[in-house]
Amino acid sequence: MEGWDPSTKSTLTQIPLLATKAGPRDGGAWTQRLKEEYKALIAYTQMNKSNDNDWFRISAANPEGTRWTGKCWYVHNLLKYEFDLQFDIPVTYPATAPEIELPQLDGKTQKMYRGGKICLTVHFKPLWAKNCPRFGIAHALCLGLAPWLAAEVPILVDSGMIKHKDDAPSSNES
Amino acid sequence: MDDELLELQRQFEFAQQAKSSVRLSERNVVELVQKLHELQIIDFDLLHTVSGKEYITPDQLRHEMLSEVQKLGRVSLIDLADTTGVDLYHVEKQAQVMVAGNPGLMFIQGEIISQNYWDSVAEEINERLQECSQIALAELAAQLHVGSELLTSVLEPRLGSTVKGRLEGGQLYTPAYVARVSAMVRGAARGISVPTNLSALWSSLQQLLQEMDGATGVSVEASFFQSLFNELLKGGEILGSLRAGVYWTPSVFATAQKECVDSFFSQNSFVIYEMLSRLGISQPVQYLQSRYPDGLPLANAFVHPSLTEMVDTAIEDVIERSSWIDSLSVLPASFGAQDASKILSHCPSVQSALKSNKALILGESFVFSNAFIKDVYDRLEKEMAVANLLGSASVNLSDDRYSAKDAKGARDSGFSSELNETSSESMPIKHAVDKGGRKKKGKSAGNAKSGATESGPDDQDFVPTKSKKNQKKSKDVSSVHASEVKSSTKKDVKSQEENQGILSEEWIVQMITTLFPDFEEQGVDDSSSIIRSLANHLRPMLINSWKEKRKAVFTENAERMKRLLDNLQKKVDEASLNIQLYEKALDLFEDDPSTSVVLHRHLLRTTAASIVDMLFVDLDAYNKLKNGAETEKPENPQFGSFSSAERTALAKTFPGSLSKKALAVIDALEGKRVETFMTALIDFAEESGLVVKKLDKKLERALLHSYRKDLTSQVSTEEDPISLLPKVVSLLYIQVHSKALQAPGRAISIAITRLKDKLQDSAYKILTDYQAATVTLLSLISASTGDEEDCTSERISSKRELLESLMPPLKSVVLSKPQS
Repeated sequence: MEGWDPSTKSTLTQIPLLATKAGPRDGGAWTQRLKEEYKALIAYTQMNKSNDNDWFRISAANPEGTRWTGKCWYVHNLLKYEFDLQFDIPVTYPATAPEIELPQLDGKTQKMYRGGKICLTVHFKPLWAKNCPRFGIAHALCLGLAPWLAAEVPILVDSGMIKHKDDAPSSNES
Repeated sequence: MDDELLELQRQFEFAQQAKSSVRLSERNVVELVQKLHELQIIDFDLLHTVSGKEYITPDQLRHEMLSEVQKLGRVSLIDLADTTGVDLYHVEKQAQVMVAGNPGLMFIQGEIISQNYWDSVAEEINERLQECSQIALAELAAQLHVGSELLTSVLEPRLGSTVKGRLEGGQLYTPAYVARVSAMVRGAARGISVPTNLSALWSSLQQLLQEMDGATGVSVEASFFQSLFNELLKGGEILGSLRAGVYWTPSVFATAQKECVDSFFSQNSFVIYEMLSRLGISQPVQYLQSRYPDGLPLANAFVHPSLTEMVDTAIEDVIERSSWIDSLSVLPASFGAQDASKILSHCPSVQSALKSNKALILGESFVFSNAFIKDVYDRLEKEMAVANLLGSASVNLSDDRYSAKDAKGARDSGFSSELNETSSESMPIKHAVDKGGRKKKGKSAGNAKSGATESGPDDQDFVPTKSKKNQKKSKDVSSVHASEVKSSTKKDVKSQEENQGILSEEWIVQMITTLFPDFEEQGVDDSSSIIRSLANHLRPMLINSWKEKRKAVFTENAERMKRLLDNLQKKVDEASLNIQLYEKALDLFEDDPSTSVVLHRHLLRTTAASIVDMLFVDLDAYNKLKNGAETEKPENPQFGSFSSAERTALAKTFPGSLSKKALAVIDALEGKRVETFMTALIDFAEESGLVVKKLDKKLERALLHSYRKDLTSQVSTEEDPISLLPKVVSLLYIQVHSKALQAPGRAISIAITRLKDKLQDSAYKILTDYQAATVTLLSLISASTGDEEDCTSERISSKRELLESLMPPLKSVVLSKPQS
C-alpha cells in the first residue's frame, strides 16, 4: 500500500470491505452488491464527518445504481473549491474500477483524460485488482479522488486555472 | 426496488446530510488557551502533560497523585509522573507541597509513602516475626527496598504495639525468643567458673542456637548476647567482673583465687609468681603489691617480711659464728638465686655486716662471714706455702702472667678457668710466629692444657685480643728476665706450669673442698660453683700475699745468695789453693808412675771430692734461693761426702750447661789425674760465676808456712801412734822439699824411702823403724778377728807400746829439725 500518505491509508483500512462479486448485469447479485456499496459509503461518510473531513456528496443517478453524480470540494488557503462529480459503473465492475470524472476541470490539467476523467496513480490499478471484489465505490473515492484533489487543486489554484466562486463574478465582471 | 436498498439509500442520504462535527486543530486550541491567559480569564498555572496534548491544573494533579498514593500506599514519583502524564519536575513540586500539607505522608527517596502503608508493613512484619521469632532488619529493609535506618525509625514507635518484639542490634526478636536466649546466656555465664573470653562463649552459644534451630536458624550476633549479658550483670543475676568488655572473671573464681593466694601467703609467708599465673593472675607483682603492701616483691616470688626476718636471723647467727650459709637452704625450695640475693639485700643484718665488712655475699645467695673467709684464706695460705716449698723453682714468669690475668679476671672471673685454657691454647698459634726463643715456651704451655677438653668456637672471638695481650705480656716478661740466666729457660717453663697448678682456680677449689668438707655435706648441689666463686674471691688475695711473701723471700735470699757466694768463693779459693799445693807435691813422684797414680787418686778422693761436694751443695742452695724458694739455711756445711751417684743426681738438677760441666767435673773426679780434674773444676766454677785462684809463689809460701805450722802443732800434740806417721812424713816433706804432700798409707813407705838421702841416717832409721812397726801393728790389727786370742792382742799391745816408745824420738826428728 505504498504510495499513499498515512492518513489515506488509515482511512482506507477503516472502510468496510465488500464481499459480493457482481456487476450491473448480474441482477439480484448486483442488488446485493449495491447494498454493500451503500453500507461502505455510509461508513465512510460517517467517518469523514466525525473527523471533520467531509469532502463529497454523491447519489445514484438511476435506479439501477450504475451512474452516480454529486459534488466534491477541497479547502485551500481557507477557500473552498467545489467541483461536480460523476461516474459510471462499468459493465466489468468490480474487476474494473469506475472512472471518476470532474467535467468542470476538463482541459485544465494534464492529470486528466478527455472528458474529465482523472488520472490515477500507477499504484491504484494493481491495488484495486488485488482487492477485487472487496473494494467498492467508497474505496475508489478514498484512494483515487481524495489524493488527486489534494495534489491537483493547489496547483490549479496557484496557476490560476481555477478561481474561487466568490472571485469568479468579480473576475467575470472585470 | 429493494426496500432494503431504499432504506440504505435513505440512510446514505441522511448520513451525507448530517452536520459534520466541527473540530479545532491543536494549534488553534493552544492559541486559544494562550489567548485566555493573556486575557486573564485563566488566572492560575496550567500544566500540560508530557504528550503536550493536555492541560492540567495543579490541583487536579495533586488530587490525582493523592488518590494514587492512597490507593497504593507507596508510590514513587517516577511512577506518578508516568501515571499522570505530567513532567517529573511538576510532580516533584506538587509532591513536596502535598507531603508538607499532609502529616500522614512522607517523602522518602523519591517515593511518597503514607502512614497506612507503614502500618500494614508493620503488621506484616509482626506476622512474620511471630512465625520466625526473629528477623534481621537488614533483610526486611532489603525486601521493602528502604534503608534499614528508615525501617528502624518507622518500626521503633510501633514496637510493642503493632510489632510485638524487640529490636536488638539490627535484629527483631520476639520476647519469648529474647527470654530464651537470655536464659541461655545466664546459664552459660553462671556455669563459667574460670576467667573466660566472652566472645568465645558467644560463638559456642551461637553454634548451639544454630543447632537448635536447624538449618533455618538465623545467626545471632554476639552483640546481642553481650547486651543480654550486660543486662543480667546489671540486674545482679550473675556475679563477676568484666574487663575490657570481653574478659569475664566470675566472682566465684576471683574469690577462690583470692582465698588460695591468701591462704598460701599466710601459711608460707611467700608466694611464687608462677603459682599466681597458674591461678590466672596475669600481673602477679602488681596484684600482690596492692593486696599486701608490706610484702617484698622478688624475681620469682613475693615474700612476707617475716621470711626476710628469718633469713636475717639465720645470717646474723652465721656471722656471729663466723661461718657461712647458703641462704637458699633457709628459703623455700622454689626460690632462685636471684630471689635470694634480693632478700639478702633487704636483710638489715646483711646490710650492716656488709657495711662493716663483716660479711661477704658470693654467688648471689651465699653469705660468708669475713671471719670464715679469713679462716679459709689462712688455711689456704698455709697450704700454698706447703705447695710452694714442694714445687719451688723459678716462679717469676707464671706469677706475672697471673697478676695480669687477674686484672682482667675481676671482670670475667666466672670463666677465668676456661680462659686459662683458652689462652694457653691460643698461645701456640700466636707464638708460632714469635721469636725462636719463645717457641719452646709456647709449646710447653700448649702441653700444659692437657685438661682442656673443650675450647668452643665461641671462645675464638676473644682469643686474638687475649693472646695479643698475652704476647705483650710475655714480651714484658722476657725483657724482665733477659737479665736472668739464659740457660734456665727450660726450667722456668717447667716451674711456670707448676705454679699455674698451685694458684689456679681448680687448685683453690680443690683445696677448699678438701679443707672444708662441710661444703659438700651441706648438700649444696652446685657447691663447686660457689666454691669456685669463693675461690675467685680469694685468689687475688692469695696471689697478692704469695707475691709479697715471695718478694720478701727474694730480698732475703738475695742477701743470703750473696753471702753464700762469698762463702763459696772463699771456700773454693782455699780448697783450690790447697789442692794446687798438694798437686805440686805430686811432682816429686812423677818418676815413679805407680806411686804417682796412687797419690793422684788419693788426692782426688779426699780433697777434690770435698771441694766438688761443697761446690755442688752450695750451688744447689744458691739456685734454690734464686728461685725464691724458702730454703732452710745450710746450717751444716760439713755434710758427709757424697757417693758419685748422688753427685750425678745433684748435677743433673743444675740448669743447662752448668749441669753438663758438673757432670764433667764428676767424670774427672773418677779419673786418675789431678790436672784434668782441675781444668774441669775451673770450667765448672767459671760457669757458675766463681773464680779459681791460681797459686803464685807468695801465696804458696804463705800457705806452706801455715800448713807447716799446723802440721807441727798437730805432730807435737798427736797421741795416736798410727796417725802420727803420715803427719810426720808430710811435715818432713815440707821441711825437706817445701812441698805439701798428701799421701795415703800405701804410699808412705815410698815417701819415706825418697826421704832417705835428705835425712840424717839416725833420723831416717827412726823413721823406717817406726814405719815398719806401724805396718806390723796395722797388719796385726787387721788380722785380728776380734776373738779374744791372747797372743794377737798381746802382740798388738806390745807393738803399740813399742810404737809409743818410738813416738818421742820420731817427734823429735821432725820437731827438732828446724832448730838444727
